[in-house]
Amino acid sequence: MKSKLVVLLLILSLLFTTVITGCSSETSKDEGTPAETATEEGGTEEEAAADDGETIKIGAILPLTGSAAATGVKLQAAMEVAQEIINGEYPDLNMPLAKDAGLPNLGGKKIEIIFADHQGNPEMAKSEAERLIEEGVVALVGAYQSSCTKPASQTAEQYGIPFVCGSSSSAALTERGLEYFVRIAPNDDMESEMFYEFMLYLNENYDVDIKTVAVAYIDNEFGVHAKEMAEKWYNEVYKDKGFEYLGSVAYATDVTNVDTEVQQIKDMNPDAIFHASYIADITMFVNKYRDAGVTPKCVLNYCGGFQDTQFVVNLGKDSDYFAGGAAFTAAHLDTMPELKFINDLYREKTNSHFDGPALEEFASIMVVADAINQAGSLDSDAIMEVIRNTEFDAPYFASGAIRFNESGQNEISASYIVQIQDQEYQAVWPEDIATSTPWVPFPDWSERK
Amino acid sequence: MVKNKKAIIILIAIMAILPIFIKSKVVLNAIVLLLIFATLGEAWNIITGFAGQTSFGHAAYFGIGAYTSAVLYFHYEISPLIGMVLGAIIAAIIGVVTSYPTFRLKGHYFAIATLAIAEVIKQLFISWRYVEGATGISIPILPRSATFMERIIYLQFNEKVPWVYISLFLFAVVVFICDYLENSKMGYYLKAIRESHEAAESIGINTTNYKLYAMIVSSAISALAGSIYAQYILYIDPFMMFSLEVSMKIVLLTVLGGIGNIFGPIIGAAIFIPLSEFTRMKLGGSGTGIDLMIYGALIVLISVFQPKGIIGIVESIRNRSTKKKGGEGEVEALTRN
Repeated sequence: MKSKLVVLLLILSLLFTTVITGCSSETSKDEGTPAETATEEGGTEEEAAADDGETIKIGAILPLTGSAAATGVKLQAAMEVAQEIINGEYPDLNMPLAKDAGLPNLGGKKIEIIFADHQGNPEMAKSEAERLIEEGVVALVGAYQSSCTKPASQTAEQYGIPFVCGSSSSAALTERGLEYFVRIAPNDDMESEMFYEFMLYLNENYDVDIKTVAVAYIDNEFGVHAKEMAEKWYNEVYKDKGFEYLGSVAYATDVTNVDTEVQQIKDMNPDAIFHASYIADITMFVNKYRDAGVTPKCVLNYCGGFQDTQFVVNLGKDSDYFAGGAAFTAAHLDTMPELKFINDLYREKTNSHFDGPALEEFASIMVVADAINQAGSLDSDAIMEVIRNTEFDAPYFASGAIRFNESGQNEISASYIVQIQDQEYQAVWPEDIATSTPWVPFPDWSERK
Repeated sequence: MVKNKKAIIILIAIMAILPIFIKSKVVLNAIVLLLIFATLGEAWNIITGFAGQTSFGHAAYFGIGAYTSAVLYFHYEISPLIGMVLGAIIAAIIGVVTSYPTFRLKGHYFAIATLAIAEVIKQLFISWRYVEGATGISIPILPRSATFMERIIYLQFNEKVPWVYISLFLFAVVVFICDYLENSKMGYYLKAIRESHEAAESIGINTTNYKLYAMIVSSAISALAGSIYAQYILYIDPFMMFSLEVSMKIVLLTVLGGIGNIFGPIIGAAIFIPLSEFTRMKLGGSGTGIDLMIYGALIVLISVFQPKGIIGIVESIRNRSTKKKGGEGEVEALTRN
């Protein structure tokens, strides 16, 4: 009797498994129905109805819940802007695929982004990548956190589906030799080199005499890799150019107090601090730098918390003088009409300006759509062929173009040095795209206005 | 015991037939994860359900197994099949080394120690360059032209069905081991230790040795599940492998299903994994961790009304329907207090 009951229960459990997951996959397969599509992609019902299931599906895997949810939602909005540009008609906008509705080489077919949530969990990123591929997406984009982009892109590689990564910055992503993976954002390797070059520029032109460097980093994939790259460039190139590397300070991902770390940095007394930090921790650091009177000559931030406009909101005038790599600054809006146009669309959705990662995710959709259009087919290999061999026009980036090298890295860095001046992000280097001159060195905290 | 075996065989047979009817990758993915976590639950059940030593750090052995096979493949192209075995041996050794001193601790203190050990191991892996530290290991994938034989040797399949059978095979072996253990002399010794440490010693059971034997089996099985998980996901880092979340998931699903019973983990996993997958797909983008909230609510309800877990509910229904009182003592559970 008992065994019968146990078996019955097990069967019920299995049925439960099948029914529940089966239902959801079936619903997903019915995505062609207008109402369903509209809810899933957040688009309008009219748009979806016009599509009538004849859309080209692109899968986007993002952290829509979990610790990075706030960022994930912004990235989703950026991708939706790209979808609007591609699917709508904007005759005055000088951008690929903007003038006509849909993809002209595919008879005006529209694109449809299907969003999936990975919650910042690599296992779920893989599961979602598979689910999207099963739903028939032509390409994948995402996944923000490098640790989630890795398994998701490995899955894409297994199935031979192109994966265009927007903003994940770990250099390890493009070191895996994947055939179907490319990344738009500059990686921490390229940023490290840019930081040293910027310091050389400051030394030559502003006579600030920056010699010693220290790195403060969060003890996770992003931070550790950034630190390794800072050390690599120092050892290979910049040691011989007069710099001295003093050491690094690591802090835990769940840090709540950075007193000890700030004291360690103060003892080292570096001229420049490289920070690989997220918004919560960089805010803590800056507050403690002020309290402890830490005044390096410059602080340069890897792509992370500094680029989030919340940095200025959190710190007010204390945020001035901090600098870092970024792919976007609002100061460029006046000189770049295309950027201004998409920024206005983005502001309608999020009530804030674009930031670096959001712009890079926007670019990932534009690149995928452009490649599909140029390939004139939905064949993965044909699309990948275009992605690998084409220089994409990207008027929304200060660099103006995107071109992938053999490893899949965008070699025309979209990033430049920005510095916060009077609580506004200003481009300060390279000179040809600068909107202001650099403020160096840091004044004493008591002398700040 | 015989009834148990029959039920196990029927269960495995059903699982083995499922992939013939189910073609959806989403469902098959849920089944693979379900089986991996059910295996982990079985492993945890040995040390906690049978021997009564509550471990909150089983992610450590899971991670060690995953790392051993992944590192050997990543650095030396050694087949994960060999890596799995080595991982199990290493995990068992680490299980013994860390448990020997901590088995002196009792109750909550042992649980805290296991938690701390898992955290220490995680930090070691984060800063250990040889295992790629915090960057994690992306397992090199085979070209799409790889032969089936290569795929078996390097344990990489683009299809889901082989994964269902691999994880089902491991689960089946583990469940038979657990069934054997439960009814063996060692199983009775472990239960005696669980019920009263002092009484067990007084009748001549070497409690330390038997707890260590249980830990060896438990950690080795966890490591095997870890290796399969790593090959399945193709990426591991210390944050995902050694996380408290993994340890807790193992504990929760076993407690939900029924602690101390070999069917507990599979029942718990069969509810938890689909619940988690389904709620994420349906509610992803709206709510945060709704699956865990529902799961938490289930745990609270079960602990309040039926501490033996779902298997305990089956038991009580059976008792009620047959009007028999007292049961046959086959369903074991940690219901002391």
